[in-house]
Amino acid sequence: MRARGNVMVQPIFSLRNVSYSYPGGIPALRDVSLDVPAGTRAAFIGANGTGKSTLLTLLDALIFADAGTVAAFGNELSDKSMCNPTIQREFRSRVGFVFQNPEIQLFCPTVQEDVAFGPLQFGVPQDEIRRRLDAAAARMRISHLLDRSPHQLSLGEKKKASIASVLVMEPEVLLLDEPTAGLDPQTSRDIIDVIEESHKAGKTVIMATHDLHIVEEIADVVHVFGAEKSIIRSGTAEEILTDGEFLQAHNLVHVHVHRHLGLKHTHPHDHVHNHAHPHTHDRQRDISSFR
Amino acid sequence: MSGKKFGGFLERTIFGTASLLREAVSVELVAARNGFLQRRDPRLKSLAAVLLLASVLMTKSSVVLSTLYAVILCLVVASEIGVFFFLGRTLFFVPIFSLFIVVPAIFDIVTPGEPIFSFTLFKVSLSITRQGLDSAAIFLLRVLDSVSIAVLLVLTTRQHVLLKTLRVFRVPQLFVMTMGMSYRYIFLFLDIIRNVFVAIRSRVGFISSTKEGRKIVTSTMAGLWLRSYRMQSQVYDAMLSRGYCGEAHTLDEFHARPLDLIIFFLALCALAGTLWFNRFFH
Repeated sequence: MRARGNVMVQPIFSLRNVSYSYPGGIPALRDVSLDVPAGTRAAFIGANGTGKSTLLTLLDALIFADAGTVAAFGNELSDKSMCNPTIQREFRSRVGFVFQNPEIQLFCPTVQEDVAFGPLQFGVPQDEIRRRLDAAAARMRISHLLDRSPHQLSLGEKKKASIASVLVMEPEVLLLDEPTAGLDPQTSRDIIDVIEESHKAGKTVIMATHDLHIVEEIADVVHVFGAEKSIIRSGTAEEILTDGEFLQAHNLVHVHVHRHLGLKHTHPHDHVHNHAHPHTHDRQRDISSFR
Repeated sequence: MSGKKFGGFLERTIFGTASLLREAVSVELVAARNGFLQRRDPRLKSLAAVLLLASVLMTKSSVVLSTLYAVILCLVVASEIGVFFFLGRTLFFVPIFSLFIVVPAIFDIVTPGEPIFSFTLFKVSLSITRQGLDSAAIFLLRVLDSVSIAVLLVLTTRQHVLLKTLRVFRVPQLFVMTMGMSYRYIFLFLDIIRNVFVAIRSRVGFISSTKEGRKIVTSTMAGLWLRSYRMQSQVYDAMLSRGYCGEAHTLDEFHARPLDLIIFFLALCALAGTLWFNRFFH
């Protein structure tokens, strides 16, 4: 719990020494402890296979910890507690999860049915569903795609439809797994804007991402996952992103090699907002570039 | 299967999946047009189609069947469907369904009656009878009308909507939803199959050994099965995450207008009229 003024704020998620293994005993998470206060923006970053997506799946109570405890809104998340329809309904209406693969998120024959699926399960009246559906579709700029089948959409459109299908539930918490992976710059920008708006509207946003360019803009707290499948460092976006050596040591950045007018040069990849990186020119003139 | 044939199999699979996708898209485009039947309520339209099919099966008059076919062609035009496109789809199936039944039925050995034309084949005397030709004509018209009604319904109703209309016939919600999801994922798997075979072709090109060919096909089948198995568990997670708890609720956006009811009433009258008209036939 953290203090806000004189009031103790209950964290939305509280994890203590959480471990999880895939069937066959393959470890996916080891001894993870963290608190996510309400209204914060948290980002999980780390190389592939370090457990970020597994943690999001745990937070959405789709899998349960082998060891340790996961609590949400003050209640422990367990297989047993989620068997209670009332608790499950309450939890699902408060937490929305955008899966990394939109092909999984969009399982209905049309985009419209997919977007409306969540509120329909919660028994929201048809008129209210229509209002929310129109609002979410307009916000994600997919109103013209509502009658289409998901297989007729581009990746960016599918991603937007996936996010709309969660926004329409009006959850308190947004879990996003790689929300901008593989998208063009404009679609990425649209999604970042939506995340920003959701946060301003008071939602808690938790995401896993490889895209360090967006982390500073959309995360207050960054948790870095290491190869040992646990959190190896937590801090503000600026603290983490300015530590180039740390990022490089954990496969989060690489030495950048590129050309400017035939001059090949290298520099470390820097993700701070001013993009002021030192350039180390090797002075090798690339004659072929002038041909 | 020779190696060359297997190479052809790869090509055929790639071409087949691509053409199936194209076909599905073209049908969807027709169903999305703003034609007369596309604007009708799918539930009443489906019920009207069932009533008309029942009329077609019960009528004994070739005049009624011919009139109905003329009405169907008018509806085709009113629904902004190309007549030749429609005829190409329907006339193709009629000989397939009817040829083997119709040909024996015109002879006196199956339908005795007034002979029109007699001949001897392998020392067997055969006659084509008037009654045989009449029943063959009625049968052909029945097949033609039935296929045309079914194709018209499919062409003017989007596939997922057509599946949802099954609810009108008391098919359980879960079954309808599962069918809808299957329809959605067929296209994803078709895409995967096409990509897998394109990747195989780009890497190995021509396959000379039948054994190797079989190995590739079986491993592709196994790979696809594993993918679908993994995906079904993830899709279930996605459903759970959005509140699914064993009983699915889906969007019901059907709106019946007076014209929809009139069309349904006309189909009902057609069935009643057919039953009444049949009293005069023996």
